[in-house]
Amino acid sequence: MTEVIIPIGPHHPALKEPVNFKVIADGEKIVRLELDISYNHRGIEKAAEQRDFIRVLPLLERVCGICSHSHSTAFAKGIEEIMQVEIPPRAQYIRTIIAELERMHSHLLWLGVAAHEIGFNTLFMWTWRDREAVQDTLEEMSGNRVHYGMNEVGGVRRDLTPSQVNAALARLPNLEERIKKYADMVNNQETMLIRFRGVGKLSKQEALKYGAVGPTARASGVDYDIRSDDPYIAYAEAPWKVVTDTHGDVYGRTCVRIGELGESLKIVRYCLEHLPEGPIRVTTPKAAPKGEIFSRYEAPRGELAHFIRTNGTDKVERLDIRTPTLANWTSVAICLVNQNLADIPVIVAAIDPCLSCTSRITVVNDYDRTEGVITLDELRIRNRARNRRQERC
Amino acid sequence: MTNTLTLDLVMEKMEEFGTIEQVRSNRIRIITTSDRIHTAIKTSQELLACDRLITISAADNSRTLELIYHLTGPHHMIISLAIELPRDVPETPTMSDILPPAGIYERQIHDLFGIFFKGNPNMKKIILNEDWPDNEYPLRKDWKPDPGTFYGGIKVERI
Amino acid sequence: MDIFLTLVYVFLFPGFLFLLAYALILEFLDRKIEARMQHRVGPPFLQPFADLIKMLGKEVIDPDGVDDKIFDTAPLVALAAVMTAYLYVPLIGNSPLAFQGDLVLVLYLLTLPTIVLFLMGWMSRNIFSAVGGIRVVTQMFIYEVPFFLALLTPALMAGTWSISEIAAWQQKHLWFMFLQPIGFVVALIGLQAKLERTPFDIPEAETEIIAGPWTELTGRRLAIMHLAIDISLVAGSALVAALFLGGPMTPWVIVPAWLSWIVGFFLFLAKTLAVLLILSSIKVATGRIRIDQLNDIGWKYIASAVLVQVAIVLVMNYFRVSA
Repeated sequence: MTEVIIPIGPHHPALKEPVNFKVIADGEKIVRLELDISYNHRGIEKAAEQRDFIRVLPLLERVCGICSHSHSTAFAKGIEEIMQVEIPPRAQYIRTIIAELERMHSHLLWLGVAAHEIGFNTLFMWTWRDREAVQDTLEEMSGNRVHYGMNEVGGVRRDLTPSQVNAALARLPNLEERIKKYADMVNNQETMLIRFRGVGKLSKQEALKYGAVGPTARASGVDYDIRSDDPYIAYAEAPWKVVTDTHGDVYGRTCVRIGELGESLKIVRYCLEHLPEGPIRVTTPKAAPKGEIFSRYEAPRGELAHFIRTNGTDKVERLDIRTPTLANWTSVAICLVNQNLADIPVIVAAIDPCLSCTSRITVVNDYDRTEGVITLDELRIRNRARNRRQERC
Repeated sequence: MTNTLTLDLVMEKMEEFGTIEQVRSNRIRIITTSDRIHTAIKTSQELLACDRLITISAADNSRTLELIYHLTGPHHMIISLAIELPRDVPETPTMSDILPPAGIYERQIHDLFGIFFKGNPNMKKIILNEDWPDNEYPLRKDWKPDPGTFYGGIKVERI
Repeated sequence: MDIFLTLVYVFLFPGFLFLLAYALILEFLDRKIEARMQHRVGPPFLQPFADLIKMLGKEVIDPDGVDDKIFDTAPLVALAAVMTAYLYVPLIGNSPLAFQGDLVLVLYLLTLPTIVLFLMGWMSRNIFSAVGGIRVVTQMFIYEVPFFLALLTPALMAGTWSISEIAAWQQKHLWFMFLQPIGFVVALIGLQAKLERTPFDIPEAETEIIAGPWTELTGRRLAIMHLAIDISLVAGSALVAALFLGGPMTPWVIVPAWLSWIVGFFLFLAKTLAVLLILSSIKVATGRIRIDQLNDIGWKYIASAVLVQVAIVLVMNYFRVSA
């Protein structure tokens, strides 16, 4: 059978992200892949150079909806390290609580999306219902379900009242039970097992060679987790462990994420119970001294790297963001070849893509046709010409 | 395999490449030049057990463009290899043969800064839209959007 | 008089008018059960009716280069086929249109919507629809053989090719659900695959190929095709209820004919609802499988199970005849 090009995206019900896979398929098997992952560039890095430290944090939060706290914390802790200020312990604990709640809501969201990709809508509805408990907690603490706005350079902006802490602790036991149930389901539910096992396999060497990060890498047995390699905020004090798995396929990534849900719950509980008293911010100088810092943070999707350079003024000179999804795209392209067409959404969803973070990337193979941006009229003309050609054959 | 890399160990292995300093408890910075960077990365992969590229950062110092390769390994130490390129001819050999993820980062830096990576098989536009005009590198310090130039996309006719 | 009664039977009750109402009610129950199991509220009672009316009034978009006359008539063919199939199933007693061999006719007519879907998928000039159409036909080849065999084993044991007579046979003996449990399970699985519901909704996989062969259907074509699938749910459940659960017959004969019709009608409702409950539970509790995995499961397990069932029935028949 001749090869057919099946476009998956940029508007596609499978991928809730603006990405375009041009899949060249032979029947149901993928032969080649042309990725066009570029529809969301907003020039944030350049815009960050023109804003001072108070104004740049809301901008960085809006790099991504689900990992918003990650970006602002990574930046804030980088600037604090350049300025050599130490934020008070209460602020560190509050930052950790919000960070882990964000991780929990991101992983529950991912679990629902992965179930939806295989047509298992029941699990999708259940996980998103449980995610509401996390969102309610976040809304009580910060006023928002996403884009929390808790960080500032020098600490956090809002404090947690005892009633908020108690309300959050009251929600945790139910969540813990539901997480155990989902772990059980992934291991025993037949259709999930046959759709997830053996799909999109990435060995440990490949994961290291192609630079995979986050749960994608940890599912292949690679033991990198910035929260333990390079501890920041309160992670060194809370008792938790890194979750890895050896399967390397989508099933392994699911297990890693569910394990991380359990660990995050433990960290949140510890931090809420042991919240130290004290101030929540320190005053920092307006301008940062000249310096360079490489700030890393474990976002829900993987390792986030901010490279910050300051030059003695109150604005950064250069902010370079490397998001985890960007690091994972190469491994997606590798593990998609020779898989089934039906597995594309599952494999792509397994790395938990967040294209708002990614900016624009296109990976095109050696076999290519030159293409540019096509207007709507051009599309109509091209389509008619192609139909006429097909009719003649 | 998590033996910690000390500054002395790094200094003795990588001395030939340039100045070495420890900027933070887990980051060591090595300044080298673009003709030696390829061997430097190979050496750090072989002798210092750095098996992962974190990212390639690029910055615009006013007279030069700077590239920094951040590598790490099971020892959890970051080795940052920095090179500076002249502004008028910013060229450097590609690292995508020894570090496969470098391909994406190099294309991104090429789009935004105009640094050309010799030997990269896929030097096409990646992060800017396909009909962005050539020779406009947005992240350079001296670039401002010009109201007269058309930066690609769909032209909207305003009546 | 006879012809008048037959016309009332065919067009009013329990014929087409009742069929349309019952199809919409079953769709409502299906969606409500699914929603409650997923911890949602679910649609109100008149929702399927509202959907039907709304879709009938929407704009019909003809894709470029597609033959719109065939696109218009194909859903009508599917609808006509399943409505006709429904008439031969015993609903309140024997069907007045019954004849020897109507089981084969019903099975054939119930296959037509699948063929129509494939045809529309192929004609749509759209890569997603083409892939969906291929999947429809592949799936049909996989489940059709076990499904047919599972529905033919009651005919083998009852010794007749008429559905009404098979239902009547069960009045004097046990229900086939107890006599042929494997066949019953395979028939339910085959029905789920025929109706293209999870885990067998591979042709319509929303997250992979937009909507498969349904992609280019708009307006009244979509409404009629959707209604055809709803009606085939009714017809399929009624068929399984008649063949395995005894249909509208009670184990004892009720003397006034009109009373037996009323009791038969309520039994028919109860049994089709029971079949729907089982189908909905399967739909909610599983995810979608891949077409190659379906191929595996279908030929390895389902087909071999039904062949075992056929062998058992033939052996039992031999002993019964010789006894």
